[in-house]
Amino acid sequence: MMHRLDAHPDEWIDRKAEISFQFEGREYRGFGGDTISSALAAAGVPYLARSFKYHRPRHILSFANHDSNTLFQVDGVPNVRGDVTLLREGMRVSALNTFGGLTADKARILDRLGRWLPVGFYYKAFHSKRWFPRWERLFRRLTGLGTVSLDAERQTSPKRYGFCDVLVVGGGPSGLSAALQAAAAGAKVTLVEESFRLGGSGAALPEAELGEMRGLVEAVNRSSIEVCCATVAAACYADHWVALVDEKRMTKMRAKAVVLAPGVIEQPAVFRNNDLPGVMLASAARRLLLRHRVAPGRRVVMVAANWEAYLACTELKAQGVDIAAIVDLRSAETAGHEASACAAAGIEVLFGHAPYEAVAGASGAVAALDVAPLQGPGAVDVAQRRRLACDAVLMSVGWAAAANLLLQAGGSVRFSRELQQFVPSGLPAGVFAAGRLNGVYDFRSRVADGARAGSAAAMHAGCRAAAAPAGAVAAQARRPSHPFPIVDHPSAKNFVDFDEDLQVKDLEDAAQEGFDSSELLKRYSTVGMGPSQGKHSNMAALRILARYLDLEPGDLGLTTSRPMYHPVPLKLLAGRSFNAERRTPLDADHESLGAVWMPAGNWRRPEYYAVPGESRAQSIEAEVRAVREGVGLIDVGTLGKIEIYGPQAALFLDRAYAGKFSSLKAGMTRYGLMLDESGVVIDDGVVARLGPETFYFTTTTGGSATVFRELLRLNALWGLECALVNVTGHRAAFNFAGPSSREALQPLTDVDLGEEAFPFLGVRCGRLAGAPCRLMRVGFVGELGYEIHVAAGDAVTVWRALHAAGLPRGLRPFGVEAQRVLRLEKGHLIVGQDTDGLTDPFEANAAWAVNMQKPFFVGQRSLKILQARGPRQVLVGIELPDSSRRPRESHLLIDRGAIAGRITSVAHSRTLDKVIGLAMLSPELARAGGAIEIRGDHGDMIAARIVPTPFYDPSNARQRIPARVAAP
Amino acid sequence: MPHRLLRFGWSRKHPEPRMFTRHDTLRPSYDVVIIGAGGHGLACAYYLARDHGIRNVAVLEKGYIGGGNTGRNTTIIRSNYLTPEGVKFYDESVRLWQDLGEDFDLNLFYSTRGHYTLAHTDAAMRTMRWRAEVNKHFGVRSEAVDAAFVKRGIPAIDMSCGGHAPILGALFHEPGAIARHDAVAWGYGRGADRRGVEIHQQTEVCGIRLEAGRVVGVETSRGPIATPRVLCAVAGFTPRILDMVGLRTPIYVHPLQAMVSEPVKPWLDPIIVSGSLHVYVSQTARGELVMGASLDPYELHQTRSTLDFVEGLSSHMLDMFPFLSEVKVNRQWAGLADMTPDFAPIMGVTPVEGFYLDSGWGTWGFKATPVCGKTMSHTVATGRNHPLIEGFTMDRFERYRLTGEKGAASVGH
Amino acid sequence: MKILVCPLNGPRPILEFAYGGEVRRSPDPDTCSDAEWSAYVFNRSGSPGLKYEWWCHIASGYWFVALRDTARDVVVATYTADRVRLGLPAPAAAQGGAP
Repeated sequence: MMHRLDAHPDEWIDRKAEISFQFEGREYRGFGGDTISSALAAAGVPYLARSFKYHRPRHILSFANHDSNTLFQVDGVPNVRGDVTLLREGMRVSALNTFGGLTADKARILDRLGRWLPVGFYYKAFHSKRWFPRWERLFRRLTGLGTVSLDAERQTSPKRYGFCDVLVVGGGPSGLSAALQAAAAGAKVTLVEESFRLGGSGAALPEAELGEMRGLVEAVNRSSIEVCCATVAAACYADHWVALVDEKRMTKMRAKAVVLAPGVIEQPAVFRNNDLPGVMLASAARRLLLRHRVAPGRRVVMVAANWEAYLACTELKAQGVDIAAIVDLRSAETAGHEASACAAAGIEVLFGHAPYEAVAGASGAVAALDVAPLQGPGAVDVAQRRRLACDAVLMSVGWAAAANLLLQAGGSVRFSRELQQFVPSGLPAGVFAAGRLNGVYDFRSRVADGARAGSAAAMHAGCRAAAAPAGAVAAQARRPSHPFPIVDHPSAKNFVDFDEDLQVKDLEDAAQEGFDSSELLKRYSTVGMGPSQGKHSNMAALRILARYLDLEPGDLGLTTSRPMYHPVPLKLLAGRSFNAERRTPLDADHESLGAVWMPAGNWRRPEYYAVPGESRAQSIEAEVRAVREGVGLIDVGTLGKIEIYGPQAALFLDRAYAGKFSSLKAGMTRYGLMLDESGVVIDDGVVARLGPETFYFTTTTGGSATVFRELLRLNALWGLECALVNVTGHRAAFNFAGPSSREALQPLTDVDLGEEAFPFLGVRCGRLAGAPCRLMRVGFVGELGYEIHVAAGDAVTVWRALHAAGLPRGLRPFGVEAQRVLRLEKGHLIVGQDTDGLTDPFEANAAWAVNMQKPFFVGQRSLKILQARGPRQVLVGIELPDSSRRPRESHLLIDRGAIAGRITSVAHSRTLDKVIGLAMLSPELARAGGAIEIRGDHGDMIAARIVPTPFYDPSNARQRIPARVAAP
Repeated sequence: MPHRLLRFGWSRKHPEPRMFTRHDTLRPSYDVVIIGAGGHGLACAYYLARDHGIRNVAVLEKGYIGGGNTGRNTTIIRSNYLTPEGVKFYDESVRLWQDLGEDFDLNLFYSTRGHYTLAHTDAAMRTMRWRAEVNKHFGVRSEAVDAAFVKRGIPAIDMSCGGHAPILGALFHEPGAIARHDAVAWGYGRGADRRGVEIHQQTEVCGIRLEAGRVVGVETSRGPIATPRVLCAVAGFTPRILDMVGLRTPIYVHPLQAMVSEPVKPWLDPIIVSGSLHVYVSQTARGELVMGASLDPYELHQTRSTLDFVEGLSSHMLDMFPFLSEVKVNRQWAGLADMTPDFAPIMGVTPVEGFYLDSGWGTWGFKATPVCGKTMSHTVATGRNHPLIEGFTMDRFERYRLTGEKGAASVGH
Repeated sequence: MKILVCPLNGPRPILEFAYGGEVRRSPDPDTCSDAEWSAYVFNRSGSPGLKYEWWCHIASGYWFVALRDTARDVVVATYTADRVRLGLPAPAAAQGGAP
């Protein structure tokens, strides 16, 4: 049974800060500096969790967040890592995925059903079409770990940017040494360490070396090195862009060079019942002991295959923990000298023996370990088994390289038979490896290796004063990892992957079924797919597969290493969530006029202006009426606006647009249709010629950025003598339209608005309400009107002046919806609504805007092909005789049971007192004219008729100044 | 306890044979060589053997079965496409999917969940209605629904999406489903293997031999093979194979990334897509949230991951589901999407006689696995394009007859 | 994120750029066949390798051409946009050479 020992000067806990917390509804106490796991261990809680598949009782395994035995639900937060999460006052902790609590978990029956639930069992059954939905509901309840609270508040956590010359990952001896060496070379160094303090993972070291380690830590703390403890380097991206994650935030670190010294991950021995509470990794026991003063038990059996096991035993004994025996998988010849100190202290050492089966006691925790002589890989002489009574089993049989970041960064590894671990075989430029990841285990060598890497990194980062590193890296004499610390057992439950409850036979059975490569084995058996992503299981799985195939682990590939090294919460990745929205200078005025907003690209625009007592439909209708009968004012400032200057400006426009602009006279405007290379309509606008070498033109709101960028590209490509300027944000624009617009506007401007001085489609420059302006007579809404462009800074003044001038004439500000109706009454298309991703100008009824006689324009050659091919559909006007039934946009046109087209725009026109629309229609039907049918809501068929456009004022008489002048 | 599991308890040795035979040598010739043992390639092999009696087939895979996009996609199956040819094609696929697990005698975890494509603008609602109308015309159960319907179907969602992209409605597609992607490759693979098809993993095609403009053989890393028919089903690797036969297509390859959360208890039943936020998400039977977003912005033949991707996707996930702040991202990965300009595949016969193409699957390939197998097996067996794929021929670009599917790709590309 | 070295602005994060696709040589529209023209409009060089590409630094509106290895994601050389019209060296020759 685990228990707390007396205080020790090196402990990480603060015994003066007692913390009360709850686990599974019961009260417990821990100390400041305890993690959830260490506090529960100290309190002697017999088990902390139920395993994923079999719901077996579980306790600490790695105490390093390398397994998911110690995941908890804490205060509404799922999947909290108990090993590395600090205890806090009042925490309410509970186990995950239990049914009726940890102790009374009803699902523990699954442990007895193991023989009927082989690897991949869920693929073999449950798939009847009829029953699967029911089975799936059961699976979904049984799987899933923590619980999400649907009413939790969103957490935002600002991110940070970091910049350094050398980033060192890992604060053990090699990392500390690398950081110091790089700093000495003049590099700006950041050192990150997962644990709460520097000094690495707490590997077993003799006292002298521990002293040297402390010296390194002190040197780092005294230096200018930026130290980030409790920080995980979660991922390594291109160009040394590293995600550093701590509890509160993510730092995006740009390093010029990276030293990876993350060490190695201790691996469990695999034997029957190796998952019992009380069976844990030796490094876990050491960290619990040294940092938290928690002893693993009172009578420990050590399963050993390296020298660290013996160091650990010596330490434990010195702390008063009884070592029942050391079970060394290696022969006395290999390991004898390492065991000498322990043997001398009277500890029994069984060489050439392996753990066969752990035996549970009444509480469910380990009470004994059966061991037997090792005969070959996985095989023991069962007849000679011996039972060793104990209350804790520690495993010190080997390590796996923590190569995830190295592989993410683009490095490669090879398997070292001598070391029985993967070591780097290729590193990308600017990435360096040091320490045990590099296969260097001897302390002094780790320090030397770190110094080498730090120096090389500093040099790569461009630091001149890179001193030659002192000390040599000795060849590794002792083998730190056993080649096969796995023991077969006829009754199984010898766990390889504790997250996924996978036993040796599961992997062999999977290989037998043909999943006999690393990736297939993983995907079929799910080994390495749990929360710890194979940290404690991938090596054993590889060994088992290699044995099955009669190959070496090095012959098999590793599964792909991917971000994140440890999982990262969404809140840290999301940060504050920045969503910019563009607003015109009139935003506040619109708001005060009752604007109801709608998104338009990344702008917001008034959809309409709400007036008390009016419904939405009534307001929109009133806005339309104001334009038709009096005057209306709309903010069209979101349109893209571009100026082009130069001797070849006209030629540029001739090439970039479908129409001809070189023939446009100064002082006039023309509709501009833009095509892509395949002849598809992509944008439109109005082009105004201000002078022989000066044009001003507009684009759609949504297209302005991409159109401008593409025009820049064409300009760069063609090399014509002209220059383009994007003035979208610099200028505001309004449309002031209606029969009374001219007389309202004239007093405000010095521009002569007479029909001869300023004809339809003309453009004039002058002043309006004191501000410089450009006025254009355009036809979009089909009334006499002016599109007014002013500097953004003058927008509010001009708008208010226009508004005031229009009010006595019945002015209403109008929004996007009213504008849609007005333009529809004139049959004008909206690019992207009446056209789609394939519409060419012929189909869009816009051939008039194309000048095929020009020598070249974008899309011309394709149009020749399209002309020959003929349109696939054409845009026509439609009207409904019965306006009580109104179809919606996108309702389909049906002809003899087949789809013949769709409605692209539709509205009830009060002006014309009927429902009108635009539709894309098969050319045959369009040619035939006459009646068509629309399938509306609920499949109802609605009759309509094809009619020519414009619906309203076909001769454009309304756009000219009337012969009689309205009384003021 | 399903009775089929009982035999596992009684037998001492694991009673399951290999799903895919390991072949030590390649035969000198085959009637058909399929390049790519992903879902599509194996599906074609399966139907060739089962429906057309063509069993002398080799499927060559340079990596491991299903190791390409089949094992990397976000497993969404739907037929709510925009064009008639698309709807008919994917609807047939959905029909095939529903019986696939029973056909294979393998659980694919095919789970009909309902699929919402959220609309945040009028323009998006118009497109959703267009899709719904075309779907309904062909008998596919989709409907354009309003905001209230969305809220009832996804009670946990923040309808304002962080306040900056309010949901106006959605395209609700009842048959929308998810499945276990690897298992599809295994099911087709086993089915093909049992009928005599040879699957050769770790076997790379290095060249294709032509004589007088027709296929006569294939060069591989394990030796040459003679064959009159080759099917190329290699997704993001298509251009490299096309180089071997001198064909050019519009295909361009960009990475497509995805990420997965840790497992949590079930809270999300339907599949959610938002075009404005560039997010799609579903929750697997294991409780993991599988999430994707837009295509990577530039061409790259690498399945590397980026931080920008997870940052943006995480931000938008929290816009929709603000309570997920503490849920952790476990892993991110990528596949190579073979994109086309009209978001529809390039399938069928090619100008090179005997060379058949199943490609251009971009971000829409997994759901089509069964119907691809059916149509391509028919095409390879008869030498003529199956009617369902007539809209997807390679020569449609030359004729300026692109399909109109761009409006149906759920997330901006 | 990945760094792209803009010829005008120096090293910038890749999100500051817009990708403009591969640089393609247009046939003479006045003399080419329909098939040649449609092949130019739609076909692409899809395989990995060294490719000339259009890139734009968005904030400064600066378009340039990069010769990039699309398998290793490494820019080998950059050129001003007018080189598309004036002539770009063959990719193999360009590798390792100054623009």
